Amino acid sequence: MTRLRLILFILLSAAGVAASFAATAAAPDALPAVLVSRQLAESARLHVGDTVTFALDAEGKGGRQFRVAGTYEPTPDPMKFTARRIEARMHLPDLVDVTAAQPDADSADAVDGINVRLAHPDDARAFGAAVMARAPGIFARPTARTGDGSDPFAVLDRFHFAIAVVTVVGSTAFLLALMVMRAEERRETVGIVRLIGISQRSILLEVLVEGLLIAAGGAIFGVLFALATQGAVNRFFQWRYDTALVFVRVTTRIALESVALAVPLGIVAGLVGSWTLLRRDVVAMVRR
Amino acid sequence: MTNAAPLIEGRDLTRQFPMTAGAVTALNHASIRIEAAEYVAITGPSGCGKSTLLHLLGCVDQPTSGSLTFEGRDVARLNETERSRIRLTRIGFVFQRFFLLPMLTAWENVELPQAEAGVPRSERRNRTRELLEYVGLADRIDHRPSQLSGGEMQRVAIARALANRPALLLADEPTGELDEVTGDQIADLFDRVHADGTAIVVVTHNATVAARAGRRLAMKSGRIVEAGKQ
Ligand SMILES: Nc1ncnc2c1ncn2[C@@H]1O[C@H](COP(=O)(O)OP(=O)(O)O)[C@@H](O)[C@H]1O
Ligand SMILES: [Mg+2]
Repeated sequence: MTRLRLILFILLSAAGVAASFAATAAAPDALPAVLVSRQLAESARLHVGDTVTFALDAEGKGGRQFRVAGTYEPTPDPMKFTARRIEARMHLPDLVDVTAAQPDADSADAVDGINVRLAHPDDARAFGAAVMARAPGIFARPTARTGDGSDPFAVLDRFHFAIAVVTVVGSTAFLLALMVMRAEERRETVGIVRLIGISQRSILLEVLVEGLLIAAGGAIFGVLFALATQGAVNRFFQWRYDTALVFVRVTTRIALESVALAVPLGIVAGLVGSWTLLRRDVVAMVRR
Repeated sequence: MTNAAPLIEGRDLTRQFPMTAGAVTALNHASIRIEAAEYVAITGPSGCGKSTLLHLLGCVDQPTSGSLTFEGRDVARLNETERSRIRLTRIGFVFQRFFLLPMLTAWENVELPQAEAGVPRSERRNRTRELLEYVGLADRIDHRPSQLSGGEMQRVAIARALANRPALLLADEPTGELDEVTGDQIADLFDRVHADGTAIVVVTHNATVAARAGRRLAMKSGRIVEAGKQ
C-alpha cells in the first residue's frame, strides 16, 4: 500500500461540523490550515486568514482552531445536489486530532466519509479492495462509474430513460392523432389526385418525403432548441441548488438518437395517416 | 363511324350501393356506347344516377353487374393501377366544383398529371404553356385557385383534363357553379375541344350546354330513358 500515496483531502461530514464553527481572533499563522467550501464561506461570511473553530459538538466543546487557507467549489454530486454543501477540508492528522479530543466516544463516528485522491487513479479498485480487507467495516469504492448499475449516475440514467420513454410514447400518440386528423383534412385532395389518375405509389412517396422533411426538420429544431436552452437550464438549476453540477448536456449522441428516433416516427405517422385515405373509395372521398 | 370500335361501351350497367337501410340502386341496367370524338350530353333529375354513370365510364368506380369496355379493354379485368393509368392518360375529368389542388398554382395543376405520366420536363413546359393559352389563362399561370374566379378555375380544370391528350373528356355539371355568361364560355371551350377530336360526355342541367352536344341522353331512376340525335 505504500506506493499508493494518500493525499490528504478529507471531507468532514457536514452534519457533525457545520453547527460548531465560529470565527475567533487568535494567533493566526501558527494555526493549522483548513479549506472551507464556497457555500460555508458564504453563509458564515468567512475570508481567507480568518480563524475558525471546528468541533464535533454543537457547543464547540473540545474544538480546535484553524486558519482559513482558502475556499473551494465542492465536487458536484448528483446524490447531494439538494443538500447545502456546508463542508470543510483539513489534513488527516488534524481530523484525527479533532475527533480524538472528543470526550464522547460516539462522536468519533461523526466522520462518515473520507474522499481519497490517488496519484494513480487506475489503482482505485485495487486500493479499495485492500482497504476493505484491512479495515473491516469500512466500505471503499472508486468514485468512477462502476457500470454495475448501482452507481448514482446509472440510477439517474434509468430515470431519464423512463422519462424519455413516457415522452416519446405520449408524443407519438399525439402525433398519430394529428396525422390522422391532417389526413382527414386532405380527404378531398387525395380523392382528387387519385381520381385524375395519380397512382397510390406516387401519393405514398409524396407523403414519405413530406414526413421525412417534417420529421427531420422537427428533430433538428428540437436539438437546436435544446442546445440553445441548455445553458439557461443549467444556470437555473445551479442557482436553485447552489451547485456546480451540470444538469443538461446535449451530446452528439443524444442529438443523433433524437433524429434517429424522430425521423422514422414521423414517416410512420405520415404513412398511417395517408393509408387511411388510400384504402378508401375514391368516389366517396370527393362526394359531398 | 358506326362500324368502328367504340371508344367506350357499357352494357347492362347496374350499380348498387349497399346501405344499412337496404341497397340503393343508382344505376339500373343502363347501356351506353360512346364513339371516338363524339359529343354526348346526359340530362336528368337530381339523383337519377348521372354521376354514378360518369364514374363508371371514367373507370373510377366499378359496376355491381354489367360490362364495360374502354378502347376495347374489359375494365373489370384491370387492376387499380391499370385503371389509374387509364384515368391519367386517356380520360380527362371536369367537375362542378372544379377540384383543383388548392396549394398548387394554375401552372402546377396542369403540370401535375403530365409529371405523373412521365412527360419530360421541357415537353411538359411547352404543353402546359400551350394549354393555358388555349383556355385563355396565359397571364394567370402563377395564380392559385383561391386567386381565380369560378370560370377561370374551371378553365384551369379543363386545361388539366386535357394535359395528357385524353381520348375522352368527362364533365359532371361543369357550369353548375357558374353564371350564364361564364357557363357559355365554358361551353364554347368544350366545342373547341370537341372540334379538336376529343370525345366529350357532359352531364348537365344547362339546356344551352346540352344543345351543343351531338347526342343527348335523358336519364330517370337509374335508367337511360330517351336517346335523341340531332
Ligand atoms: N357512394 C354512394 N353511396 C351511397 N349512395 C350513393 C352513392 N353514390 C350515389 N348514391 C345514390 O345513388 C343515387 C344516384 O346518385 P348520383 O349518381 O349522384 O345522381 P345524380 O348525379 O344524377 O344526381 C342517389 O340516390 C344517391 O344518393
Ligand atoms: Mg351528380
